[in-house]
Amino acid sequence: MNHDEFEAIAALDAVGAATADEARSLAAHAESCEACSRARDEYAEAATLLARGLDPVPPPAEVRERIAGIGEMSNDETSNVVDAEHRFSTWWLATAATLFLALWGWREIGIRVARERIATQQAEIRGLTEEKTRLAAQNEKLASMASPDTRTIALAGQEMSPSASARVFLDPTRRRAIVFFYNLPSNPTDKSYQLWIIRGDQPKPQSAGVFDVTASGNATLSIDNLPVMTEIQALAVTMETRGGADQPTEKKFYVMGGMS
Amino acid sequence: MTAAAMLRMDPSVTPSSLLPAVARGEISAFEDLYDRYSSTLYALLIRILGSSEDAQEVLQETFVKAWTSAKMFDALRGSEVAWLISIARSRGIDRLRSRKIRNDREDEAGREISTVSGFVDRTSGADQAIQSEQRVAVRGALAELPDAQRQALELAYFEGLSQSEIAERLHEPLGTVKTRMQLGMKKLRDRLQAFR
Repeated sequence: MNHDEFEAIAALDAVGAATADEARSLAAHAESCEACSRARDEYAEAATLLARGLDPVPPPAEVRERIAGIGEMSNDETSNVVDAEHRFSTWWLATAATLFLALWGWREIGIRVARERIATQQAEIRGLTEEKTRLAAQNEKLASMASPDTRTIALAGQEMSPSASARVFLDPTRRRAIVFFYNLPSNPTDKSYQLWIIRGDQPKPQSAGVFDVTASGNATLSIDNLPVMTEIQALAVTMETRGGADQPTEKKFYVMGGMS
Repeated sequence: MTAAAMLRMDPSVTPSSLLPAVARGEISAFEDLYDRYSSTLYALLIRILGSSEDAQEVLQETFVKAWTSAKMFDALRGSEVAWLISIARSRGIDRLRSRKIRNDREDEAGREISTVSGFVDRTSGADQAIQSEQRVAVRGALAELPDAQRQALELAYFEGLSQSEIAERLHEPLGTVKTRMQLGMKKLRDRLQAFR
């Protein structure tokens, strides 16, 4: 994965939309990459603009009293112990106070450790649940390819890459497809390929996702929530700025094919 | 030049970071921190949770976390308000998910938008003016996003939906949704400098 791909993940991670795998790989990469670490922090800050645009809602006064008590409680306990030492100057009171603070501190640490453990376990459960969902979805997609209803569509190489091709396995019942691309030219690091659905019911093409190709020019793309079959007229691939575009900026296609 | 802009340029009234003082255990700084940001954080939690009761509990958790972890704040990585919003949002989404698991989420239609009983606004005049102007500017930046990009980002940020859940909700291909969110975030990141 290159820096641009990690930046793309950072953008999703900032709003909590990166998958557990993506978030893990970004965190590992950012440890050793200053540029991606900075991008992750900037995206995280940018995401908070969504919250900062909301109308402020003042909380009830009693919430402030409860919260202010948190700080006062910890400081009061310390100052009470100091006063007691001055007043009585007795070694046993200091010992008792120290013991009390030690026990109180121990309890607080215990609670904090337990909370952190629960948070870690909840994060692991979320990660495993996402992984399970991802594997189930993958199995379902593979099963789709073997379905008797699955249609196969060939996309042919165009002027930009005559030797390229693609094969689409389209499951009309579940409105999903898997597309295998072959022999496409390598895309530069600042560019991505983008697959477009040309629809009969809409004047503009609809993006079906962006992808990069391997060194040998191959790639696989899964598409969910496809339009119904009768609305799809053709599929085509352009090369766009990394991350994709709202609409195709190039008129030249790399592969293209229509519904027969 | 507006009053808020003038206030921002005057270092004697520009709100300074309170977290270093909170990290030293200064209660007055902690109270100032609450007065400065609680309305923003509470609005976010109401938006996420839809319930003032839950929002108050999570707001309290957020400030407890701020009190105990203020030393962890690194001004080089982001702003004070962003740090607090990230804590509140993360805990709010955790609460929302645990509520979903228990299948007892409150009906969306019954959302309480604002609970102001017993409210005392302690935000200083300077803070209010600056926050108000910044909010207008932030809304301007958000308004520049195409509706489809903003909608996808809001579903992720406020409802904690995954990429595939958003695609399902919007009846759009997953790739389209990812592209929209990435383009939207890139625009927000480009505008970020104005709010630092």
